[in-house]
Amino acid sequence: MSAATMPRVAGAAGWASVAWIVCRAEWRALRRSAVAVTASLLLLALTLVATLVSHEQMRAVEAERAHLQHEADEQWNAQPDRHPHRVVHYGHYIFRPVSPLAFFDFGVDPYTGHTLYLEGHRQNSANFSEAGQSSLLLRFGQLTPAFVVQTLTPLVIAFLAFGSVTRERERGQLRLLVAQGLPGTALLAGKLASHAAVALLLAAPALAALAAIGLLQPAVRGHALWMMAGYAAYVVLWALAAVLVSAAAPRARDALLALVGCWIVTVILLPRVLPDVAASQVPRPSRIETEVAIHREAAALGDSHDPDDPHFAEFRRKVLAKYGVTRVEDLPVNYGGLLIEEGERLTSALFVRHMHEEFARQEAQAGIVAAAQLASPVLALRRLSNALAGSDRASHERFLLEGEAYRYRMVQALNRLHVNQVRYQGDRDQRIGSHFWRELPRFVHERIGLAVIVERHVRPALAVFALWLAALVGGAWWLARRLERSPR
Amino acid sequence: MKTFKLELRLALHSRLASGALVLLLVLAALAVWSGLHAVGQQREALVRIAAVQRADVAAVAHKYRDGGEAGYAAYSTPHLTDRPPAPLAFAAFGQRDLQPFALRVRLLGLQAQLYESESINPELAAAGRFDFAFVLVYLAPLFVIALMHDLVAGEREAGRLRLVHALPVPGARLWRRRIALRFGLVLAVLVLPLLCGAASAGVAPGDALLVAGVTALYLAFWFGVAAAVAAGMRTSAGGAAVLLAVFVVLTLVLPTLVNGAIGRAVPVSKGAELALAQRQAVHTAWDRPKEETMTKFFRTHPEWRGTPPLTAQFQWKWYYAMHQAGDDAVAGQVDDYRTALTAREDWTGHSGWLLPSVAVQAVLHRLADTDLRAHMGYLERIGAFHRQLRAYFYPYIFNERPFGPAEFAGLPRWERAAGVGTVALDALVALALLAALAAGAGAAALRRVRP
Repeated sequence: MSAATMPRVAGAAGWASVAWIVCRAEWRALRRSAVAVTASLLLLALTLVATLVSHEQMRAVEAERAHLQHEADEQWNAQPDRHPHRVVHYGHYIFRPVSPLAFFDFGVDPYTGHTLYLEGHRQNSANFSEAGQSSLLLRFGQLTPAFVVQTLTPLVIAFLAFGSVTRERERGQLRLLVAQGLPGTALLAGKLASHAAVALLLAAPALAALAAIGLLQPAVRGHALWMMAGYAAYVVLWALAAVLVSAAAPRARDALLALVGCWIVTVILLPRVLPDVAASQVPRPSRIETEVAIHREAAALGDSHDPDDPHFAEFRRKVLAKYGVTRVEDLPVNYGGLLIEEGERLTSALFVRHMHEEFARQEAQAGIVAAAQLASPVLALRRLSNALAGSDRASHERFLLEGEAYRYRMVQALNRLHVNQVRYQGDRDQRIGSHFWRELPRFVHERIGLAVIVERHVRPALAVFALWLAALVGGAWWLARRLERSPR
Repeated sequence: MKTFKLELRLALHSRLASGALVLLLVLAALAVWSGLHAVGQQREALVRIAAVQRADVAAVAHKYRDGGEAGYAAYSTPHLTDRPPAPLAFAAFGQRDLQPFALRVRLLGLQAQLYESESINPELAAAGRFDFAFVLVYLAPLFVIALMHDLVAGEREAGRLRLVHALPVPGARLWRRRIALRFGLVLAVLVLPLLCGAASAGVAPGDALLVAGVTALYLAFWFGVAAAVAAGMRTSAGGAAVLLAVFVVLTLVLPTLVNGAIGRAVPVSKGAELALAQRQAVHTAWDRPKEETMTKFFRTHPEWRGTPPLTAQFQWKWYYAMHQAGDDAVAGQVDDYRTALTAREDWTGHSGWLLPSVAVQAVLHRLADTDLRAHMGYLERIGAFHRQLRAYFYPYIFNERPFGPAEFAGLPRWERAAGVGTVALDALVALALLAALAAGAGAAALRRVRP
């Protein structure tokens, strides 16, 4: 900006027009820089590729799961007439459906199994996760729009903005401008505005993809809007930080160094180090240990095969009293079925309790990572993004809990059939019609409501961003005053 | 020697350079410590699991103190298999945080038992581990860039470039000496913690040296690239920008692109399909005449054809024949599944021919026996153990011989195999070639530097 174009500053309107001139001059400088234009174009192209590729990939995954679910349902329906307890052991498969926004951010989805086998007396793990079946390449990350905006965009922003103020300082123009009466606040405001706008432009394809999904899928419109707000705040944050570092650094190369250092620490290093800290702080039992613990507790509750078992003796007394008979053979219902039903009730309560204990441990680990959100805003953004995309740990846990609840309802409905449709005498050799289980309700996966997600994940993340913004604006004001006093 | 000392003082005098080296040393040490800790946690878990297992088996054995049915003994005895971490696992943890490192199997259909997943916190797993491989692949290049981006431009910006070229020592030799010094320093701060960790973990000296060699090759690649870029750039900021772009593309963008491509080219929904098919094969047998199952079983296991025939009620021989027939029915699908997983590994290896970051990971994880191939090897060993169990139990089950405490005590035991890493030779050769290419390019570019 040449000194000749400087208007004299008078009042708020004058201030704004000066800031606007600074902003436009900065854009012009960026447009002329081959590095800036190339980097931006490459990033835009990458975002576009990431959006298309991951959208396609998620569609394929969704189609695959829908196909497998259909196949499993067909197999379930095609069962012949059977003893209901055989159906309990035949079991059923459910597959976790994909959320429409998952294409934007795969979140933990590749790391969680999406196949759940539901059978009686047992709780199976969610199997066949993508990561467990992939080579080490998956650990490099996945090319999703979220990856591009979270990881790569801040670096490009840093490169575009590191010289925004230091360049003028190194050329000695800064001193000239201030001497001419340019308010430091107007200068910084103009630079901040220009780079914030550029940052939003860099994120534009990703934001547009979100907007498009929001328009096409009314069910996730709110989710998409919050996500756009989160990502926009994040990139603006980086733009502001980059300009401020540039304003504070004596030389451009120091500013670049500081910014790249910040990027390494907050985007690459902390997100990797903290999970290891969390894993060693909160130990978790292995799957086998949990299984054995459940098995032991179940054995302590009672053994339905043992006629002298106190729990089941009491159970029999109650059943006999309820129907007013003295022998189980005289009951109007099948006592064998009642026993299995009672056993399932006891073990299922254990399963659910252990699940909640395990989830609490995982939550404690996540809490340790989340404690660093303030130092590393990308962690806050990831929480927000995963939750809204329906690909966070909570969504997976909900699938597991719903799967267990469904397993319990299904098994108990079959046990009810055992109680009511199968005679006690010669129990094992009987079969009942297949229409009974064909009529049982199917698994329906209910997603977590938007209000809950906003409450638990979006608001805390936005609060982190707000704190950062406040700190940066405060810093900007202080730096602007310093610029006016000593523009060197 | 004197010039070397001078150069060393010059290099360490810069706050940026000495700070970067100290930071990298701290990070490498931290990564080694964290890896050792994670390996220790898995070993402790294996000890706890073994204790739990002993108690379980003792309880089952107690039931057979007076003898009983072999079929029921086989049904109720879980057998523990495990895969303790190889000594080098601390440096490249690989998939050990995802895959089960202990599985219990019973004599039932194997395919229904193999794919149980370990209970993991997916949020932590998704972030990836902070191990030596991570520090080497992702962080070390950034430090190389920090030390090298202004190699030539820094002298030019300081106005010393003319002076440097006026020295009696030819310019290229000066640059080479400077780079060799920085290379040695970065290599030292990376390798020292690694060797300490390797010594405490009991890694074979040859393996430790190989990791050090891979570290040197990967650093040579980056120093070569950095020299080539630094020689051609007018400003240090420009050098940093270009180098960082190369880093982002080579370690962040291209591997994720390749991963996406491999995922598309080799889908593995086959795992879930396999499970569905196996369940169907086993459970339909309950509704079919028992003789049908036996006929199927005898076709693949004719040695049991002459054993006492089935009677009307439930019999264990029919039950196990049914499970075995279920496994046999999906044998083709099992092969398909394994082929798909192997293909994914192979294609990843091929991408390492062009991507040094991938080649390094491939060599380290293969050597540490922590990759997908290692897990598949574990599953195959479980299959062999399961065959051993069947061979032990079948004579008692099919000949209806009693099963007493002596028989119970003689059960086959899982032979723990110490993880054996192998050398991924093609990835290593590719890495050496890439490093030589980059180093050559760097040297050639430096020769062309003019004041």
